Amino acid sequence: MRPRLLLLVAPVVVAAAAVLAAGTPAVSQAPKTGGVLTVAQREETPQGFAIHETSTVSTTWPAMPCLSNLVLFNPAKQQESTDTVIGELAEKWSWQDNYRNLVFFLRKGVKWHDGQPFTSKDVKFTFDMLREAPDAQGKLRINPRKDWYANVVNVEAPDPFTVIFHLKRPQPSLLLMLASGYTPIYAAHVPPAQYRTSCVGTGPFKLKEWRKGEFIEYVKNPDYFVKGRPYLDGIRYVIIKERGTRVAALQAGQVQVAFPGDTSKTTAEQLKSAVPKMVITRAAENVNENVIMNTKKPPFDNLKIRLAVAHAIDRRSLNQAVHQGGAAIGVSMPSRPWGVWGPPESVVNAMPGYGKPADEKAKARKLMAEAGFGPDKPVKVEIVTRAIAVYVDMASFIVNELKQIGIEATLKQIETAQWHAMATRGEYQIGANLTGIGIDDPDANYYENFACNSPRNYTFYCNEQIAALVDKQSAEIDAKKRLAIVLDIQKKLEDEGARPTLDWRVDNFAHWPQVKNLIPHNNFYNYGRMQDVWLDK
Amino acid sequence: MKTYIAQRLAIAVLTLFGMSVVIFVLLRMAPGDIVDVLFSAAGYVNPSEKQAILRELGMDKPYWQQYVQWITQIFHGDLGKSYRYDLPAWQIIRPLLPVTIELAILSTIVAIVLGVPTGIVSAVRQDSLLDYTMRVFSLAGLSMPSFWLGMVIILVLVSWLAWIPPLTYVKPTENFWLHCVQFLLPSLAVGYRSSALIMRITRSAMLEVLREDYIRTARAKGQGQRAVVWRHALKNAVLPVVTVVGIEFAFLIGGLVVTETVFNLPGVARFLVEAILWRDYPIVQNLVMFIAIVVILSNLTVDLLYGVLDPRVRYA
Repeated sequence: MRPRLLLLVAPVVVAAAAVLAAGTPAVSQAPKTGGVLTVAQREETPQGFAIHETSTVSTTWPAMPCLSNLVLFNPAKQQESTDTVIGELAEKWSWQDNYRNLVFFLRKGVKWHDGQPFTSKDVKFTFDMLREAPDAQGKLRINPRKDWYANVVNVEAPDPFTVIFHLKRPQPSLLLMLASGYTPIYAAHVPPAQYRTSCVGTGPFKLKEWRKGEFIEYVKNPDYFVKGRPYLDGIRYVIIKERGTRVAALQAGQVQVAFPGDTSKTTAEQLKSAVPKMVITRAAENVNENVIMNTKKPPFDNLKIRLAVAHAIDRRSLNQAVHQGGAAIGVSMPSRPWGVWGPPESVVNAMPGYGKPADEKAKARKLMAEAGFGPDKPVKVEIVTRAIAVYVDMASFIVNELKQIGIEATLKQIETAQWHAMATRGEYQIGANLTGIGIDDPDANYYENFACNSPRNYTFYCNEQIAALVDKQSAEIDAKKRLAIVLDIQKKLEDEGARPTLDWRVDNFAHWPQVKNLIPHNNFYNYGRMQDVWLDK
Repeated sequence: MKTYIAQRLAIAVLTLFGMSVVIFVLLRMAPGDIVDVLFSAAGYVNPSEKQAILRELGMDKPYWQQYVQWITQIFHGDLGKSYRYDLPAWQIIRPLLPVTIELAILSTIVAIVLGVPTGIVSAVRQDSLLDYTMRVFSLAGLSMPSFWLGMVIILVLVSWLAWIPPLTYVKPTENFWLHCVQFLLPSLAVGYRSSALIMRITRSAMLEVLREDYIRTARAKGQGQRAVVWRHALKNAVLPVVTVVGIEFAFLIGGLVVTETVFNLPGVARFLVEAILWRDYPIVQNLVMFIAIVVILSNLTVDLLYGVLDPRVRYA
């Protein structure tokens, strides 16, 4: 750490000093040690343990126990926010120079699973690699979250236990990004490609065996830096591709914990009726269902038609038909209790598509007529979606809704191997899509999905005024002022039919009652560390 | 006989060569590749990064070079490297083989044990209540997809007994009893369907043979029912049954996808589908070649059995 910097620049916020990473006591019972937790895994982990090369919970969920972050969202708190960030490899941290420098003070005596010492060199290695710094020592094959670090000018490691992130401008959300399950620290002495086949971390569990297509097995890390943790002797993630078999395995107790996002409302009811003591907790996934419309191609380059689509789709009926009422209604950021940035229900109800269905359909037809279309002159389009049941169900509903306003859509299913290539290249007119967001923060959502040149802005929607607002909220330090800007952005995005959100998925996270301290967050990417989980038996 | 075997082997080699070309071409005709799938997990595709990865995997070379490289590798006992796992393909494929082969053998045994006796009894007791019952039983087997039956078995077990078979592969050396339990239910589910086919073939072949003059002669000479059926009729009716058993076994090696998925068995078929979805060419190509070899060997075995069972084939 540069002493001058600390001495001369008064810290604006000294956040959560000396917070123990584990710091989450059991609610009522003293935790017990021992036992092996069995957890369902819906598919083979894509890219092994290389979290930095993927954007799927199928990787973060089984890889998180091996790794550690600088900071982490408190495992005991369901709703994540700045206030729930706790230290992990960083003992404490401090914002300096009006949120332009973020200083981390690292734990001492931490060892990698191969016995090497952990130092600031590893942190610098990781973040130089992520932001693709010219002098980075490591390189990722695919780097999906490079944009998260666009505002980081330099990562400095002045001594083995201090790291400073220098920013171009204030960005309070950086701390949240660092707390995501997507942001583990890699070992500088291990080639990044090696994480695709094995795992050298500092996390609470060490990889014992990965039998391809079958299971991933961990054992307790005896050198874990939090004394007394983890409680479990091990974890076994059992890969079960077939959903029916996964549910049966949970019901029969062959796995004790469901895969996050896997338990629909109907399945939860079925499980609860078969095993009344099964613990079911409703938690948002931070994944929304949305309509992507290619704004570069007719007819959706026409604002009126985009808005007609936004008005036409009855969100509540969709929720009933596809999710049996189990999803949450909301716009581009999830509303409370599932998120902290979305507008209240009364505001949402005034946005396109959220009013009374008959009124909304009438508005949609009027817009279609103004654009020169109607029952006698329907718009004929192809609606694309991934060839996966959850996508197809949603898309089928949309097809029916659009038909009622004079848009005749034929459904085309696209295989996963082609989906993102097609969307990135804009080779479609309209599509039914799912979008997962790593943290509940506008920066993660808007820069990724709405920024003009983002590769994941599949709609190519680009509005300089909104882009300026996105930058403004990102740099705003005052939380209340930031929220006001974000609410304004959400309204504008809906008024522009930029990428109409249909609903936010809500999981009915299931586990057996003997599994303690496993609290699902309203974001299924971030609660897989398992260091505090214990078995009561 | 030697000439016969030599001819069959020559045809087998030609078939394998044809298969290698077909699978190689078909895979590359399918839209998308491994890099698209890798990017899919990241949510976007970057063309320049994609090109770099294609180069890294050797997929930027002309197709003919990739084909020659693959075939050359096979001749050197090297199956290449899995794109997905970044590990030697053989290391991935090797543990899958015993699972699928065991399941296919057990299913075939179940099919024979159920299908042949019921077929014989059904033919001998033609148009009796027993015959009708067995025909309904076999028709039900043909009508029920094995994966559906498998799922029903699992649901019944979990609902009634709150138990299902182990979901990770238990090696016989680890726990023989549990291993048997793990394979019993899927082999019953698969074997039942195959047994229905075998039963019907056995029945029709037996009915045909039982009407032959030499059967009547045998009966006239005072041969007992058991001797007539087992020694004279079955031996002559068995050829079509052997053919069907051979075809079914070969089919099972690659056709157990859904059963392996439902019972969560880490076998060839389930993994092959995964590999196809991932466009993991080295795994797909080599697994398909393995299945082709099994099919060819199985047909060859059937052909050779013809010679053993029917002297007319041997002396022709």
